[in-house]
Amino acid sequence: MKQRACKPPALARVAAPTSPVVQQNLPFVEQAAAVKTKQPVLHRQVADRLWFCVWLPQLPLEANRSSEAATAIVEEQHGIHRILLADAEASAAGVMPGQAANAALALLPTLQLEERSLLREQQALEGLASWLERFSSFVSIADHDVLVLEIAGSVRLFGGLQELRQKMSQGLRELALTAALAIAPTPLAATWMARAGRRVCIRDDRNLAAALRKLPLSCMDWPAGLCETLTGMGVTTVGDCLRLPREGFTRRFGTEYLLQLDRALGHLPDPRNSWRAPERFCVDYEMTEEQTDRELLLNICRELLLSHEQFLLARQLGTQRMCFSFFHFKGPATELRLGCARAERSAARWFELLGIRFEQLALPGPVIAVRLRSGMAQPLQAESGTLSFHDKPGVTARRFSITQLAERLIARIGDQSVQAASMVAEHRPDYAWRSHSLLADWSGTTLDTPEQSVQRPLWMLPEPTLLPADSGYPVHQGCRLRLIDGPERLETGWWDEDGISRDYYMAAGTDGRRLWIFRNRNRTSSWYLHGYFG
Amino acid sequence: MSSSLDKILTNPRVWRGRDQAGRRAGLASGYPELDRHLPGGGWPRESLTEVLTEYYGIGELRLLMPALARLSTETSTQDFTEPGWIAWVAPPFQPYPPALQQCGIDLSRMLIVRPRDDSEILWSAEQALSSGTCAAVLLWPSILDDQAGRRLQLAAEKGHSWAIAFRPLAARRQPSAAALRLELHPDGQATRVHILKSRGGRPAVITQLL
Repeated sequence: MKQRACKPPALARVAAPTSPVVQQNLPFVEQAAAVKTKQPVLHRQVADRLWFCVWLPQLPLEANRSSEAATAIVEEQHGIHRILLADAEASAAGVMPGQAANAALALLPTLQLEERSLLREQQALEGLASWLERFSSFVSIADHDVLVLEIAGSVRLFGGLQELRQKMSQGLRELALTAALAIAPTPLAATWMARAGRRVCIRDDRNLAAALRKLPLSCMDWPAGLCETLTGMGVTTVGDCLRLPREGFTRRFGTEYLLQLDRALGHLPDPRNSWRAPERFCVDYEMTEEQTDRELLLNICRELLLSHEQFLLARQLGTQRMCFSFFHFKGPATELRLGCARAERSAARWFELLGIRFEQLALPGPVIAVRLRSGMAQPLQAESGTLSFHDKPGVTARRFSITQLAERLIARIGDQSVQAASMVAEHRPDYAWRSHSLLADWSGTTLDTPEQSVQRPLWMLPEPTLLPADSGYPVHQGCRLRLIDGPERLETGWWDEDGISRDYYMAAGTDGRRLWIFRNRNRTSSWYLHGYFG
Repeated sequence: MSSSLDKILTNPRVWRGRDQAGRRAGLASGYPELDRHLPGGGWPRESLTEVLTEYYGIGELRLLMPALARLSTETSTQDFTEPGWIAWVAPPFQPYPPALQQCGIDLSRMLIVRPRDDSEILWSAEQALSSGTCAAVLLWPSILDDQAGRRLQLAAEKGHSWAIAFRPLAARRQPSAAALRLELHPDGQATRVHILKSRGGRPAVITQLL
C-alpha cells in the first residue's frame, strides 16, 4: 500500500476534503493523531482507490449445507444449540435465528440441522477470494464473511464499473452464493454499505460522508452492548455518531471505534492485508458417504481438474506433475501420480492422462474423499503452431505431438519405460551412450562424436555374458565361432573403477549370426559376448 | 481368345491386385534387388510389414536401416513437416546408439518403449502408429494374432506410419493381415530373404542379400 510521509496534524486538517459541517463538529485528525501518532495520514489514497465489498450474509448456510431439504445452521451458545441461520423454506415454517434447536424441530420436524463449521466457511471464503483474484490484484479477507477488493486499476480493463459489477454478480450467482455488493472509496465504507444492503457505487470521496451518514448503526458490526448504549442516547445512524464530540466518544467507548469512523471516511489510512492464494494447488473433495462407483470418482477428479485449470489460468502457470489421493475410511490412501512432458494446465489433457491410469488403478476399498495436489507450478510455455501453406486434401493433420504420445505411453506403462537415447563421447562401449527420460531431459542434445571407423553392433546386451570355450575358441549356443574381424583394442577408463582393457572381435557362428565378442587382455581370459550385429 | 480375355479383364467386377498396390510408391529399401521384387519399388508405407526370423542377429535390422535412416532424417515430401520419429517397442536387446548413428539414424528422433506385457506392447505400438508423429514403429510382440495384426494395419494407415513386426519363424503358418511378410534365413555369410506374402506382388526368394 502506498504511504506518504507523516504530515503534521494541522496541515492534514486543512487538507481534509470533508464538508465544513463535519469538520467543525468533529476535529477528527487532531484527536486521532493524538491517539495514534505513528499512523501516517493519507488523503490521496481516498481519491485514487476504489474498494469493492462482497458481503456474504448467508455464508454459514451456503458453506455448511449438504442437502436440498429445509436446512438451518445451529451453533452452540452457552450449552444450548441455537439456530444461527435458516433457509427460506425453514423461515417460512417459522424457524427463526436464536431459537433453540428443539423448538425449531417442533415447528418443522423435517428440518435438517447442520452444525456450523467455521473451517468450512473459511474454505469457502478463500475459494471465493481466489476466484475474485481475476478481477483485482488486491483481494483482502476483511471479516469472516466479508471480502474487499481494490478495483480502481481494473475498471478500465473490464470495460467500466458497470460491466465489472455485472460480471462479478453473475459469477457469484453461478457459485450459488448470496452476496451484497457495494463500491466506495474506502474499504470500511464499502463494507458498511454492503452490510446495510445499499447497492451503491460511490466513486467520488466528496459524496462519501453524506452517504455514510444515512447508514444505520447495525451495519458497523459493533458489539451489541455498545449499539444498545448508543441507541439509548438517541444515536441510531452513522451520521449521529459523527455528530458526537470526539473527546467524549473516545472516553466513553474507546479509541477503536473512533478510528473506524475516521478510516471509513478516509481521514486515516486503512491498510489491508492482501490475500494470496497458495502457489501450490491442493484441494480436497469430501463425499458425504463412501463411494465405489468409479464413474463418479472420475467425475469428481474432472471437477478437481477444472478448478486446477482455473487456478493455473489465473497465474498463467502450468504444472508437470500432479498427484491424486483417494482416501479410504480405513487404511492408507491410494495415490495416483501423473506426469506430463511439458508444463500443462489444460484440464482436458490431464483428464485424458488420468483416464489411462485410472483404468488400471486398483482401489482397495470405497473412497471417502479425493485430494488433488499439483506439483511445482512453472511458467507456461505456449506451443507455437505452424502456418500451413501446404494444406492438401488427403493429408490429415497430426493427431498429437510426440510429447503427447510420450505422456500417454508414460501414463500407462510408467516413467522408466519410455526413453530416448543420446551419444556420449566415450570409448568404452557401455558408456558411449545414455538413455534419458523423455520428461526430465527433454531438450537433450546429441553430442557430435567423431565418426567411428569400426563397425558397432546394432544390438547390445545389457551385460557381457561369458561364452564357453572349446580348445580356445569361443562357443555360442553350441556353435563354434569363427573370428572374422578384429581385434579392436579398447584400453581406457583407468581413471575410474570401470577401466577396461579388451580386444573386441566380430565373430560369425555357423547359424549365420554375427556377434561382437571380446577377451580381456590382462590375463588369459575367457570370451565374452557383448552384442549382435542385428 | 485374347478378345474374350480382354472382355473379362475390362469387367469392373474383376479386381486386379497389381493395379491396387501399384498406386503408391514404396519406400526404397536401399537394396536394389529387394526393391525389384517389391510392388511400388520399395517397402510398403502405411502398412504392416512382418519380418520372421529364427533368432536375432542375422541381419534383420541391417535390412531396414537404410530405409529407417532416410525416414529419420528426410523431411516428408507429403506435408513438408519435420521428419518423423522412430519408435522401438519392446526390443529384445538394447538398440545400440553408436551403431544406429553409424547407420545414419538421427538419435534425437528415437523413442524406446519397454512395455511390461503383451497387451501393453500392442497398445503402445497402436498408439505410436496412430499418433501421426512416428514415421516407423518397430515392435517385437511375443504373440500377434490375426486381429491384433489387423489393428496394427489400420493404425498404420490412420497415422501414415510404417509398422514392422518381428516374429519367430513359427508364425509363418498363421494368417496375417500384413501387407508384406518376409522370412530371413542365414545363407552362408549372407542372408536369404523369402517374400512370403506381398500385397500386389509375388512371393520370391532373394539369395545373398546382406
